[in-house]
Amino acid sequence: MNGKTRTIVAALLALMLVLAFVPGCTTEKESDSDEPTNGDNGAETPTTDVKAAMITDTAGLGDKSFNDLTWQGFEQAEDELGVQVEVLESATINDYESNLDQLALAGYSPLVATGFMLTDTVSKVAPMYPDTMFINIDGFFDPVPPNVVGVGFKENEGSYLAGVVAGLATIDTFDDRLNDQNVIGFVGGMDVPLIRKFQAGFEAGAKSVNPDIKVIALYTGSWSDVAKGKELGLSLIEQGADVIYAAAGGCGEGTVRACQEKGALFIGVDADQYNTIANSGDVMLTSMMKNIDVVVFDLVKAMVDDEFPAGTMQVFGLKEGGVGLAPWHDFDSKVPQSIKDAVDKATDDIISGAVTVPEAL
Amino acid sequence: MSESRQVVPAQRAWMTLVLKAGTPLVSAILAMGVGSLIMWVSGYDPAAAFAALFKGSFGGPKQFGETILRATPLILAGLAVGYGFRAGLFNIGAEGQLMMGGLLAAWLGVEMAGLPSAVTVPVLLIGSALAGAAWAFIPAILKARIGAHEVITTMMFSHIARFLVQWLVNGPIKAPGQTPQTAPLGLSGQLPRIPTLFSESTLEALPFLGLGRAHTGILVALLAAVAVWLVLKYTTLGYENRAVGYSPWASETAGISVQWTTVKALCISGALAGLAGAVEVMGVHHRVFDQFSAGVGFTGIAVALLAKNHPLGIIAAAMLFGALQAGSGTMQLEAGVPQKIILIIQALVIFFVAAEQIVMWFIRKRQKEAISGAE
Repeated sequence: MNGKTRTIVAALLALMLVLAFVPGCTTEKESDSDEPTNGDNGAETPTTDVKAAMITDTAGLGDKSFNDLTWQGFEQAEDELGVQVEVLESATINDYESNLDQLALAGYSPLVATGFMLTDTVSKVAPMYPDTMFINIDGFFDPVPPNVVGVGFKENEGSYLAGVVAGLATIDTFDDRLNDQNVIGFVGGMDVPLIRKFQAGFEAGAKSVNPDIKVIALYTGSWSDVAKGKELGLSLIEQGADVIYAAAGGCGEGTVRACQEKGALFIGVDADQYNTIANSGDVMLTSMMKNIDVVVFDLVKAMVDDEFPAGTMQVFGLKEGGVGLAPWHDFDSKVPQSIKDAVDKATDDIISGAVTVPEAL
Repeated sequence: MSESRQVVPAQRAWMTLVLKAGTPLVSAILAMGVGSLIMWVSGYDPAAAFAALFKGSFGGPKQFGETILRATPLILAGLAVGYGFRAGLFNIGAEGQLMMGGLLAAWLGVEMAGLPSAVTVPVLLIGSALAGAAWAFIPAILKARIGAHEVITTMMFSHIARFLVQWLVNGPIKAPGQTPQTAPLGLSGQLPRIPTLFSESTLEALPFLGLGRAHTGILVALLAAVAVWLVLKYTTLGYENRAVGYSPWASETAGISVQWTTVKALCISGALAGLAGAVEVMGVHHRVFDQFSAGVGFTGIAVALLAKNHPLGIIAAAMLFGALQAGSGTMQLEAGVPQKIILIIQALVIFFVAAEQIVMWFIRKRQKEAISGAE
């Protein structure tokens, strides 16, 4: 090969290299982030001049959790209410303020920011744009600025139901992975009050149907350390747990793998993790869902209807449809009716106020 | 023959300058070119995207301020990594030293609330630099005494720093409330935003001073860049640093203590990284929380690579990376291009900088072939 051919071959190889990953980008783009398309949604879409926008946290769209759920609520608002929607993804924490700033300047309102790590930023930006409405999911404000809505969830109520399921399942025999020890496990993420709230609800739910049960709780200290999630899962199974509930963000996937390896059942968190953790159906009993999409849609709708509860904290529990259990999926035929009835009864009791779920241990 | 000899040094000096400034520029342009290609293939309009990117980063004083804001810690982190590279050391753990610097600034800033700024700001800056240097000291000693590779040790120390911060903000130094973070700095320890330094009327008369979120930390960064440049060029300390970088054996023979130079280089590198953490805490976040640094220490490696470790080049490289970050929001909003494209362009810049070495190798090989052919 002389010099020229070599150059051409090298150039072609480089081009192949580039083209090889381009389709990857395109498909990811399509599945991850359906960019908003304005106006091609058919003629019957009602019209409104509300323009809603969200910023993601650094996980971005495609996180199969908070950000995607918020976007789902937006898509529903676009389809059903004709709201114009926009999303800005944040690469680093330094983008939060500039992204909110840009959207406010571009005339979007309400602006949705997801996660308690953005509460500071919302508090800083909101006073600069008094005519723009802000929504902060999982944000706690005291006092609440006049143009902000802080959204909280009663995760303890949803976790209570997860506890009822786990508490009954561990003494049942509908699956051969359920052992004869009266032990269940909890995997938490960072040891913060919010996650203690999940644990408190879970324990209360389990003890309400099975007073002698032993609940072992372990914390990963992280939202993303999959290996640690697995390690703690294995350790819990070692100690006799046969149903494990993980409220630990991305660590949960590791716990799922531990359950698959050593034979235990799993309860997911935040989203319906049957859909979001690949090949988890064989251990995924159910998930405790935070219906962020429902809440976001409701708040955008309130904006359209001119009933936006500006300047308040809005807390969504079982009663408001903010939390709840996901479908049983592959376990639907296996789980005995008695457990399903117990979940329904607990739900009714909480909604009616007959049972109050503790928020802390 | 004698004529050509006279020409060669001048020509070579000119060539070196072109290569020094030219190749990073070419790398950046190539990266944007391939980035455009990717955008085009994915169905976006590259021209609109870059127009929006430019608008969002240099389109006005506020946008320029945003670029400065992003560039400020990157300059310091780039200097940290670059200074190490000049001594032949790869301080990949600048992120950890940065976090320790930020942590110290956050702690001192709360403790010293109420004292005048003229006292607090210098104390916080110096304290953070010392904290960063201290965090680099153990890897430095390990390297100098037993030859433990700094890539491993500084990286491990960076993990320790991360978990230390995580633990501290969740417990010992956590401010009351739900969120795991420290209490805000006292006003005296904060670096003010540049527009707040001027009166309304001045800002109206001189609108270019309305630099949005940019804070006075940029002055710290620029001063540090000039200082590092002077040190490297004109002082014994800098000379020894460079000499050890070129050839530790020759330096040793010439009477330079390689061990001592290694320790000094890593500690100065750590001090600069600590300053990067300090300006982020004092100028932007005003407190510390888990993962408050957003990977600045790692982007600093790319900045140093692009600038070929030249302190003044680092300013330009940091501005480029700052602009890419600052403009990405506008690019998403106005051109609909996902923010991940920016990450791809950043990665491509690094890729082409690295590829330059391969190109240089080819050129040298050609030259050798040409020479041997001529003979």
